[in-house]
Formats: sequence, structure tokens, C-alpha cells
Amino acid sequence: MIKDDFFKTLGSPWLWGIVVLAALSPLVLTSYHMHILTIALVYVALASAWNIVGGMSGQISLAHSLFIGTGAMLSSALLVKLGINMWAGLVISAVVAGMLGAIIAWIDFRFQLGHLSFVLITLAFGEMAGIVVEGWDFLGGASGLLLPRDVGNILQFQFGGGRGAFWVMLGLATFIVLVNVAILNSPLGYYLRTIRDNERAAQAIGVNVLRHKTIAMVISAVLTSIVGTAYVRYLTFADPYLLASPVITIEIVLFATVGGLGRAYGPALGALLLVPLGELLRGKLGGAVPGLHYFIYGIVVIVVILATPSGLLPLLEKIIWRRRAKGLSHDGEQFGGRRGQ
Amino acid sequence: MLEVQGLVAGYGGVPVLHDLSLTLAAGEFVGLLGANNAGKTTLINSLSGLVAPMAGRILFDGQDVSRATARERVELGIIQVPEGRLVFPEMSVRENLLLGGFCDRARPHRPQQLEKVLALFPRLKERLPQPAGTLSGGEQQMLAIGRGLMAEARVLMLDEPSLGLSPLFVQYIFGIIDQLHKDGLTMLLVEQNLNLTLRYAERCYVLERGHVAVEGAAEVVKSDPRTRQAYLGL
Amino acid sequence: MSELWQALAQGVLIGSTYGLLALGMGLVYGVSGIVNFAHGDFISLAMFMCLALFSAFSLDPYVSALITIPVMMAIGALVYRLLLRPMIGYKFLMVVQLTLGLSLVLQNGILMIFGGQPARTPSVVESKLIILGEVVLRLPHLIACVVAFVMAIGLYIMLRSTDFGRSIRAVHQNAHAAALMGVDVGRVQVMTFAMGLGILAVAAALLLPGTPIQPSQGLQYTVITLLVVVLGGMTNFVGIMLGGLVIGISEALGTVYVSDTLGRLVPYAIFVLIMLFRPQGLSWRAS
Repeated sequence: MIKDDFFKTLGSPWLWGIVVLAALSPLVLTSYHMHILTIALVYVALASAWNIVGGMSGQISLAHSLFIGTGAMLSSALLVKLGINMWAGLVISAVVAGMLGAIIAWIDFRFQLGHLSFVLITLAFGEMAGIVVEGWDFLGGASGLLLPRDVGNILQFQFGGGRGAFWVMLGLATFIVLVNVAILNSPLGYYLRTIRDNERAAQAIGVNVLRHKTIAMVISAVLTSIVGTAYVRYLTFADPYLLASPVITIEIVLFATVGGLGRAYGPALGALLLVPLGELLRGKLGGAVPGLHYFIYGIVVIVVILATPSGLLPLLEKIIWRRRAKGLSHDGEQFGGRRGQ
Repeated sequence: MLEVQGLVAGYGGVPVLHDLSLTLAAGEFVGLLGANNAGKTTLINSLSGLVAPMAGRILFDGQDVSRATARERVELGIIQVPEGRLVFPEMSVRENLLLGGFCDRARPHRPQQLEKVLALFPRLKERLPQPAGTLSGGEQQMLAIGRGLMAEARVLMLDEPSLGLSPLFVQYIFGIIDQLHKDGLTMLLVEQNLNLTLRYAERCYVLERGHVAVEGAAEVVKSDPRTRQAYLGL
Repeated sequence: MSELWQALAQGVLIGSTYGLLALGMGLVYGVSGIVNFAHGDFISLAMFMCLALFSAFSLDPYVSALITIPVMMAIGALVYRLLLRPMIGYKFLMVVQLTLGLSLVLQNGILMIFGGQPARTPSVVESKLIILGEVVLRLPHLIACVVAFVMAIGLYIMLRSTDFGRSIRAVHQNAHAAALMGVDVGRVQVMTFAMGLGILAVAAALLLPGTPIQPSQGLQYTVITLLVVVLGGMTNFVGIMLGGLVIGISEALGTVYVSDTLGRLVPYAIFVLIMLFRPQGLSWRAS
């Protein structure tokens, strides 16, 4: 059912080498840099989860703030207002997010939404969710929710901030990227891509569009929600403007697109490049002149896109292929590279 | 009048036309034949300036126009009636015709030209305010040709005018085309329909995979066995 | 009851300006296939330009429009040539991301120059009121509505009856055929984009009197404009103006009849409902 390439990736020394290196990095990084890397990993996870819907299915969803918001705000509210353990909150939020995702997928199918309509309607949902959260006291209203201090009690879904949170995020990010690889090498990935390229044609050849779009959306929603819960735990403060507004979705889409839409490592690449850049800019320049860091960040985004209009990953691949082609030995190296990535 | 020398052209770096040469003298009616992907439309689009040449030259009245923009080609009088008619569906017949006379050279005489075209195609006069998208295939073809005439063409290039038309309409359209030729208009006709083209054109080129496979007077081309070969891809 | 009329009147007034904003976006989309996510930030730019002109020369916003319109058009031509034209042929989403980068640059550029505090640009007409029966209208809003409709009609006439307008519609309906008619497609695209920004400059001057402005407002305007454009069927003139009115009215009614916070939901909810049950939006027959 799942192509060999997935297992090849699973056993790839490159991949685990990078992961292990990353896991060891807290030992040498300052807590400031580790913080930046943690945030970057959060976005790697979020962008990769979004990629399942936005990249592979071609459905540009701007409603993912709903899932992040559910994962973050709902579990926080359950903990702070009802005393429900955050592990339980994690599961409950994930289930709720999954249901929301299924509803959105159903609406998309039932009303035959075109691509642009889907974008705008999910945007409308995202905005509406933000307004609801701001107005609903249970979820913290406009002032958000403050979580109990993180003292490292695993049973309370606490990882001790700093390194603990870093490793959790690394684990989540790696897991979600592997989920991407798995899907791309499975029948689901194949169906999603046919749906993306031509939905009518896919339907005509018997692909169950509703089922596969729903599966993709639910997987994406659940994963996103889980990251949301972990993220809010790390931040210790549930800020509705960060976690429940379309702004975060727009950032995620930026990373996924700039990195390489629909590819397993694309969103990771985009996030790993742009998030540290943004944070470093904010650190160095944020204080002096307000807005300068974002100004430069915006310029960087424009320059990167003009330079790599097809995405970073495709560009990197072109460079790697050129090198490989030059070094092609007489015994005919295996062509085809890593498919499904 | 029109001369193509060793043209190499294509899309995305991949050439479709290979070292292609042809000539078109003033007042001539030349047919361009060939199977589906022989490169006929690519050639016409190269002449119209929509496909940049990778090598070779295009001369018009002795001048090198290979680098001229699409707009400049229209100003020179190189006019294309595209495959599939491509009328502006939500604009009226009248607006389509007015757009035909958009270029600077033709605009001053537009009202008179409009009269002439409507006299030639009375059916269009009846349908003047109708959106072009609601016209039948044959009427759209009349409109497309009328649009081309509005530009006061010096060379009129028609790409597959018979496509999708009933035999009656095809006869009618080609009657008009023949009449235009007899009135002195230089024409380049791209058609898959062998017999139809050979009936009206004076000279023909048969394209096969981007090369000229056969060329010569209509009767010569008709009886040349290579012509059938080119069509059947043998 | 008078509350209802008041809300309706308010909605129509503001909605007509939304419609004008959306027309600019719709035109650009129809001709270049680009959705400019920095749309709202260009509005901000125009507004802050008026503010600057006021601070420097005490110019009323309506007067400074005479300066901002050509300046914005020039900026539009520049932005299109340098940033957007090279992106033709690449993924739609990539171009959108580029405009988002542009949005960040504009928003923060303004922030750096003007600071983040809300600012007002005084105008002579600011506090004047017009009273029609039970309804109290603020003069700037009334002027905005009238000008918006006049401009919309003017644009419509231009598109229908001038050669330039026809060339725009031709490029929108079939760019390939338009090129065969001798229309310089590239030039039409640049000019349409520039024109779009010129329209924004007008709308900015209309919205300015009496409204506090801040750099972060850009996204809000972009979202509203997007809603109106999509509601209007993307390129349908009448549809877009109607869409503007619908959004404007639902916004006004929402804040009056539903609580203040939840009232903001109303335009989004109405948008979703209309798009679900009428996917072509509010588009009318003609283009």
C-alpha cells in the first residue's frame, strides 16, 4: 500500500542524522537561539500539516486558524476554567478540530466550491472564529488565558519549557513531515494529487472526492490542533490575536508556498528559512525603530519570491540535479531520485 | 511580400518549427497544409509575433520584422483570423468589429470599413447588438473574418476557418474568401482540409513535424504521394 | 424604526465606497489574473499621503487627492513593472505571497514614518451633518457615496464606449485574441493596475475625513475588498457595486441590531450564505 520510498526515507541516515543533530543542539545553543528554533519548529509542524490540504489537495484553506485556535484556546479554557488535564484537553480539542475539518470538507463538496470561493469562505470562517473567540468569555475573550506555570510535570502536559519544549516540537515537526512523506507515497497522496490537478476528471474516473478530501482535511486539522495545544503550552499564554486569527494562517501559507507547495520538505524549508530570519530581525531591530524588522522581512520575502518563483525546494533540487548530472559516472547512476518528496 | 527564412521557433525552449522557409507574393493565395501537430499554428503565431523566433528571419516587404512585437505586426498589416474564431464572447458583434479596427493605421477609416464589412456579411448586420458568444459557429467565423478585415489587412492569415462548420457554411465562407482573394487580398490559409484548400489556393506548402515536406502549385501538391504520407505520418 | 433607516443609510453610504474599492481590484484581476493582497495597504498609503500633505501644507484631503491620484498611479505602474510582471506564468499563490510581502513593506514603512498611533486628518466637511427626515447623515459619508457612484458610472461608460475601455475588456475576455487585434496587452495590464491604484487614491480621500487611521488597518480593508469582489462575481461591474452595498448594509445592521462584537460577524455570515447558495455571486448578465 505504501510505496518503498517511504520506508527508504524512514531508514534514511540523512534524515535521522539531521534530526539527531537538531536534538543535540540545545546543548550548544543559547536559550535565546533555542527559543527561535523552537518557534521555527512550531511553524514547520503547522505549515507541514497545512500542506496536506493546501499543497497536496490544492485546497487553499485559510480556516486553519480554527484548528490552531481549537487546539490552543479550547484546551487552555478546559484547563483554566474547568480544571481538565491538558492531555485530555489535547485529545478533546483534536477531536473537535477533526469534526470542524470534516464539516468544512463537507461544505466544500456539497456546495461545489471553486478554488477561489473555498479560499474566501475559509477566510470568512477564520475571521468569524476570531470574532467568536474574542467575544466568548469561556475561551478567554479578548484578553486571552493565562496557563499555570510550566514546572515540567509531564502528567500535566508540561515539558519544563526550554529544552523539553524544544524536543517535543522537534518530535512533532519530524512526525508531521514524515506523515507528509507517507501520504505522498500512498494511494491517498495519489488521489489527492489527481483531485488537485483536475477534480472533475478525478471524479469521472471514479475517485471518491468527498472521502479523500475529508480524510486529508481531518488529518490536517487534527495534527494542527495538536501542535496548537503544544504551542500554547510553550507560550504559557493563550493569546487570541495570535492563535485564533487568520494572520497565523497567512504566515503558514507563506512558508509552505515559498518553500515548495505540495512537497514533503517544502513547507519545512520555508519555515526554517523565514521564521528564524523574522525572529532575528525582530531581535536585532525590533526595539529601535518599530516596524523596521517587518519592513526588511517583507523586502526579503519579495526578493526570495522574485528569485525563486517556483519555490525554494524546486530550486534546490535543480541545483542538486545539475551537480549530480555532472558527476554521473559511467555505470549509469540510478535516476529518479526520491519520488514522492 | 512575405518571406520566411530558416525559421526555428517553438515553446519553452523546445523548437516546433525546424529551419522552415516559405514565401508569399503580393496577391497570392497560399495554402498551408499538414496534420494536427505539424506546426501550422506555431508558424502563423510566429508570423503574428506571438512566438519569438529562436533562429531564422521573417521579412515583410523586404524589411526584417523578426523582432517586431505583435502590435507592430498588426500595424504593418499582418492580420490573423485565429483558430477557433476567438471572438470576444461578452462583447457585441459591433464591439468585436470595432476592436478589429483598433490599430492606429485602421482606426481613422473605421466607420467606412465597418460599412464595407457589414455589406459583405449582411447576417452580421442583423446581429449587431448581440453578444458574440451567442452566435452560431458559422456566424462567429464571419465575425472573425470581418474583424480581420476591419484592420485593413495587407496579408490575411486564416487558421482553420472550416473547423466545426457545417458544409453549407464552409462553402459560403470559402466563397467569401475566394472573392476577397480575387479582389486583390494576399492570403495565407491554414487548413487541415486538403481538398478544400487545394481547390482555392494557388500554391501550397505541406508541413510535417515542423519541416516543409512538399511545396508547389496546388495540382502538383495534390498528386504528390508525399502529401498523403505527411498526413498519415508514414 | 428610525434606527433601521439610519443603519440602512449608513450601510449604503459606506457600501458604495467599498464597491469602488472593489472595482479597482476586480479590474486588475480581470486583466492580469492577479489578486493584490496589499490592496488595503495601498489604501493606507494613500491615506497617509493625504495626512502628510495636510501636515506639511494644510491641504484638505479632497484637495490632496489631486496630488495623490497621479502619485499612486505612478507607484502602481512601477510596482507592476518591477514586481508583478516578472511573475506572470507562475503559480497564482506565489504572486499572492509576493503581494503579502509588499503588504508588510507598505504597512511597516508607514509605521516607521508615521508611528503607530491613530491619527486624524481634519477636513472642512468633517463635522457637517445632513438631516433627511429621521436620518442623520454625516457629510463626508454622503460625499463619499455620491463620488463613488459617479466614479463607478464613469468607469462603466469608459469601459463600454472608449477604445481603451474596450481594449481592457478584450484583454480580460481573451488576451490572445486581443493581441491579434493589435492591443498591447502588457501596456493594458500596467495601465489597469495603475488605474486601480488611482481609484484607491480617490477612495482613500473619501474615507479619510473623520476617520482615524493607523498603519495596521491595511489587512481589514483587503479582506473587505476581497469579500466584495468575490461576492460581485470577480469582474462583474454591477455585481461588485451590489456586493459593496450588501456588505456595507450587513455591517451597519449587524452593529446596530446584534451586539457590537458579534455584529461584526454579520457581513461574513451573509457572505458565506450567498456564496454557498449562489456560487456565481451577485453577478449580473453583462460583463
